[in-house]
Amino acid sequence: MIPKEWSERLLTAMINADRTGAAELIDKVLVSGIQPVQVIADILDPAIVQLGRLWEEETMSLAQNFVASKIAEDTLLRCIPVNSINPRTKGAVVIGNIEDDFHSLGRKTVGLFLSAAGWEVYDLGNDVPAEELLEKAIEVNACIIGASAMMQTTALNIRKLRQLIDDRGFAGRIKLAVGGAVFNWRPDLVAEVGGDGTAHNAVGADELFMRLQAEAQREVTP
Amino acid sequence: MNSRTVWLCCGVVRAEMEELLRRGLIDGELIFLDSMLHMDPPQLEAKLTETLKQNRAQPGFLVLVYGDCSAHMLDLVRSFHVGRVAVINCAQLLLGRDRYRRLMHEEAFLVLPEWARRWEHIMKSELGLTKEVAQGLMGENRGVLVYLDTGLSPVPELHLAAFSAYTGLPWRIEMVTLDCMLAALLEAQTGAKKCAENKD
Repeated sequence: MIPKEWSERLLTAMINADRTGAAELIDKVLVSGIQPVQVIADILDPAIVQLGRLWEEETMSLAQNFVASKIAEDTLLRCIPVNSINPRTKGAVVIGNIEDDFHSLGRKTVGLFLSAAGWEVYDLGNDVPAEELLEKAIEVNACIIGASAMMQTTALNIRKLRQLIDDRGFAGRIKLAVGGAVFNWRPDLVAEVGGDGTAHNAVGADELFMRLQAEAQREVTP
Repeated sequence: MNSRTVWLCCGVVRAEMEELLRRGLIDGELIFLDSMLHMDPPQLEAKLTETLKQNRAQPGFLVLVYGDCSAHMLDLVRSFHVGRVAVINCAQLLLGRDRYRRLMHEEAFLVLPEWARRWEHIMKSELGLTKEVAQGLMGENRGVLVYLDTGLSPVPELHLAAFSAYTGLPWRIEMVTLDCMLAALLEAQTGAKKCAENKD
C-alpha cells in the first residue's frame, strides 16, 4: 500500500473516532519498514492537513475535531516516543494557551512536534497570563513565545501579550508565534492580535519557529 | 427608541432563561434554537443568521445568549449590531469567569442540566465514542464530572451515574445560582442598546 492510501485510512479512523484502529494501522505501517519520519511526513501530515480543511469548512463539530486531533497526537507519539526525541539544539521556546483558553490539544501537539524537531520547549499549560509567558521567556532566554487560542474571544487576549512584549522592549529579541483553529479560519486575526507569524497546523510549527528565530537573530545582531 | 428586547438563546439554557423571565429579572421575548446545532456548526450559523434577519426589522434590541460557539459568532454580532453575553461558553455564563477558571484548572468536565439528559446520544451517536475510547480520552484530559445544578429540575442522578461509568470519571454536584448569568445578560442588554443606538 502506498503512503497516500495509508494516510486516507488514517484520516478515516480519525474522523470515525477509531482510536484503536488508528493505532493498529500505524503499528502495521511501522512494522512494514516505513521509517517514523516518513510516517509523519507522508501519512500523518497529509491526514492532519485534510483534517484541518474539514474543520475550516466546518463539516466537523468542535467535539469531533477534538477526538480526531487526539488520535493524531497518539499517532505522533507512536512515531516519536518521548524518550527518543532529538537533542534539543535549536534553542528555548515558551508555549502556552493564552489567558481564558483551555483548549490544550493543539498546543500539546505543537509542543511534541517542536521537541521532536530539536527545540527546548517550556510548555506553561492552559490559561496562562501574558506576564507569565513573558517572564518565562526572559528566564530561559527564549527567542519565541507561542501563544495558542481556540476561539476568537480568547485569541484577542493575545493582544495583551503583544503589548507587554513591546512595552518592555523585547519586540526584536522575542518573537510572538500565534496558533489555534481560529487563526486558520481568520488569517487576519494574526495581525489583529500582533502575532509575528502562524502555522496552519503542528506540522508547520518547526518551520515557523525557525523563521522567527532567524528574524530575531537578525534584529539582535544587525 | 423601543426598549423591547429579544433574547436569542441556545436551548441549553432554556430553563434558566424562562426562570429569569418568570421572576421578572429580565423582560422581553425569548427565542431558543436547538442546542444540538452545536454538533453541526454551519447549520448553527445558518439558523442564527436566519433568525437575526427575521428580527432585524423589529423595533428594540436583540441579545445573543451564546458563547463563542462558532467561527463567525463575533461577525454576526458586528454585522447585525446586536449584543452578546461576554462569555466563552454556556458553562461560563452560569458560573462566571472566576469560578469557571477554577473548575477548568481542576480539569472538570462541566455538565449542564439540559446536556446531562442527552449525554448518551451525543457521546455514542454523534461522536461515535465507544466506552473504551471515551474512557481513554476523558481520563487523559479530565479529572471529574461536575454537574451544574441550577435547581430548576431534579438532578438526573441515574444519567450522571451512567455517564460516570461510561467515562470512568467520578462525579459531583455543584449548586449554581442564576446571579452570574443575570449579570452577564443585563450587561449584554446594555451593550445591545448601545449597538442599536450606533446603528440608528
